[in-house]
Amino acid sequence: MSAFVDAIARAREGLSDRALETPSATLSTRLATLRNEGLAAFDEQGLPNRRDERWKGTNTAKLADLPLDCVGPGVDFDEAVLDELFVADFEADLLFVDGRTVRSSADRDELPKGVLVLSLEEAAAEIPDLVAEKLGALVDLKTDALAALNAGLFEDVAVVSIASNTRPGRAIRILSLSTSAPEASRASFARLLVVAGSGSEAMVVLESATVGQAPGFASIVSEFHVAENAKLISAEIQSGSAERVQVSQIHAALERDARFASNVLCLSEGLVRSEVDATMNAPGGRVGMNGLFLGRGDSHHDHFTTAEHAAPHCESDEEYRGILADSSAGVFRGRVLVRPDAQKTDARQSNPNLLLSEGASIDTKPQLEIYADDVKASHGSTIGQLDEEALFFLRARGIDEATARLVLTRGFAQTFVDGLSDESTRALVADRLDEALTALETAPGEPSA
Amino acid sequence: MSDAPLVSIKNLHANAGDTPILKGIDLELRPGEVHAIMGPNGSGKSTLSNVLVGKPGYEVTQGEVSFQGEDLVDMDPEIRARAGVFLAFQYPVEIPGVANNYFLRTAVNAVREHRGEDELDAIDFLTLLKEKMKLVEMPEDMMSRAINEGFSGGEKKRNEILQMLLLEPSFCILDETDSGLDIDALRIVANGVNQMRSPDRTMLVITHYQRLLDYIVPDHVHVLSGGRIVKSGDKSLALELEEKGYGWIDGVEEEGVA
Ligand SMILES: Nc1ncnc2c1ncn2[C@@H]1O[C@H](COP(=O)(O)OP(=O)(O)OP(=O)(O)O)[C@@H](O)[C@H]1O
Ligand SMILES: [Mg+2]
Repeated sequence: MSAFVDAIARAREGLSDRALETPSATLSTRLATLRNEGLAAFDEQGLPNRRDERWKGTNTAKLADLPLDCVGPGVDFDEAVLDELFVADFEADLLFVDGRTVRSSADRDELPKGVLVLSLEEAAAEIPDLVAEKLGALVDLKTDALAALNAGLFEDVAVVSIASNTRPGRAIRILSLSTSAPEASRASFARLLVVAGSGSEAMVVLESATVGQAPGFASIVSEFHVAENAKLISAEIQSGSAERVQVSQIHAALERDARFASNVLCLSEGLVRSEVDATMNAPGGRVGMNGLFLGRGDSHHDHFTTAEHAAPHCESDEEYRGILADSSAGVFRGRVLVRPDAQKTDARQSNPNLLLSEGASIDTKPQLEIYADDVKASHGSTIGQLDEEALFFLRARGIDEATARLVLTRGFAQTFVDGLSDESTRALVADRLDEALTALETAPGEPSA
Repeated sequence: MSDAPLVSIKNLHANAGDTPILKGIDLELRPGEVHAIMGPNGSGKSTLSNVLVGKPGYEVTQGEVSFQGEDLVDMDPEIRARAGVFLAFQYPVEIPGVANNYFLRTAVNAVREHRGEDELDAIDFLTLLKEKMKLVEMPEDMMSRAINEGFSGGEKKRNEILQMLLLEPSFCILDETDSGLDIDALRIVANGVNQMRSPDRTMLVITHYQRLLDYIVPDHVHVLSGGRIVKSGDKSLALELEEKGYGWIDGVEEEGVA
């Protein structure tokens, strides 16, 4: 058995039923079902491996061999980290540490009417039926081992509920930290549930970061339910240290005329598997999937997206941009699935990549599965280096070469930043991105020594 | 006009890629002077300007170029730019994702730092920028757009002049900044250039058209052909070329007449 599976087995023995006990019988039953089915489905499937088509691009042994001591919430972390991470410009900030809500700045009286940002415990008291109905509804445990494991082991949920026709003015942010230490390397399982009522409009920012320099595993499963004519935008910022394995799985379901846009900024220095899966269940749905990943050091970013057209007259538009420095590796799989009924589908996908060093690599493949006949689908990927003409132009205006390379690299990322309509989110994303770019060890594109 | 040349080019031979293009150029440019270079397509005018600003891919094989008494040939392009060498490009490059104003401020501050001046903060820079933009009649919204992206031909050329106005170089090379401009745009560009004329600056103006030289009156006109300067004269030479073409000059290769 692998180190990972060993640790999971130990953790299961210690699982308490306390997390399942809520004032609502319906919700308690739902939580118990998720846990039991999740663990059973994980036992059935085991950890993902490379024989699985969906994991072809990633060395899954890294996951199996990850040394883990414990599972679940840790205790100690330096609160100073928070000062850096908490920023004022959001409607609410909910802090998760190792999958458990720790602190919320969501002052109930200050939140707009109809907007709830809750821990599982709070949600169990206020909206148990809604949570019981929606939690886990978008995840297929039988075919997804890591989602199954998450379902089996999560202990808390960040719940965001936006009532019909409500529009909070600012974004809601969920901050998810995963801790780990050499003496107790840790796996944690976090969970986010967002329910946007019909005609509502909201923006949710999910920021994942790691604390402590030690191997560790962090899983987060997010579900976005977007009702009729609602508009939900998510922005996910992933950062993490080199020894970490981070898995983020986003599932969205859209009803009639709903819009969902996912924006993923991936800056992790370790191994990341990032999945975004959006299903348009009724006509008029529109999905945007934007991504920007910056690989550096030995990082490995595996982006797997699925735009599922299950109804006619829906539109998906996807652009993932990759910047790969040092000896980092990127994987992009863009799956577009058009069901037989989904006539008049319009699906666009592109994946431009910028390779900044000879040791960096990108493995990119679209995956079109089209079962309807009246469909417009386009896709394209490119792999390139910095434009020499542009580089010279900047130098000819007095800008030194290293700065010029940085400016051009940042320019490549700009369309992603511009795609974020919410100002605070855009500023946050730009900050995190600039920080990461200026920290690149060798100037972008400089042949490393 | 002072006597020591600002730029001195001696027996300059240069390759573009592996092809010899410049085959022995001699030029002395003194402070305060405007020199025009005319010549058929492919005669090496852009090659000369690219060599002067140190574009990769161009190699000096013989001869020398000095600027303010210093050897220019081995200087990196950014060092030349900071020292005061500026080329307004014939074909300005588009750079998606990089905002014009951000780029301009970075460039201005790089040059200021070299001159030992303080960095301009965002507000001071904006004041300066607005002042210079007026001179080239550029609308303000063009500043937040990406460098040259979606700019018309005329707007790109005006953007080049704007950069020159901001960086205040002492050696200004204009490579066909007038080509393809309508009369209004030409007037704007020429005004920008005339703003820059001063007793301690030198201009090297490459053009195919006498029209520009009505606005920017040159002290000297040179004809470049086959990588050599085959004739030099005063401003009347440009008028003569406009009238008669290049055919009458000894050493002009016939096929490339503009
Ligand atoms: N990088 C290069 N590699 C090889 N040949 C080149 C290169 N750049 C320019 N040349 C060649 O050098 C010659 C001179 O080109 P150049 O651009 O200097 O001409 P020009 O006088 O500026 O012409 P125009 O009036 O059309 O702008 C041309 O024959 C051109 O094809
Ligand atoms: Mg030319």
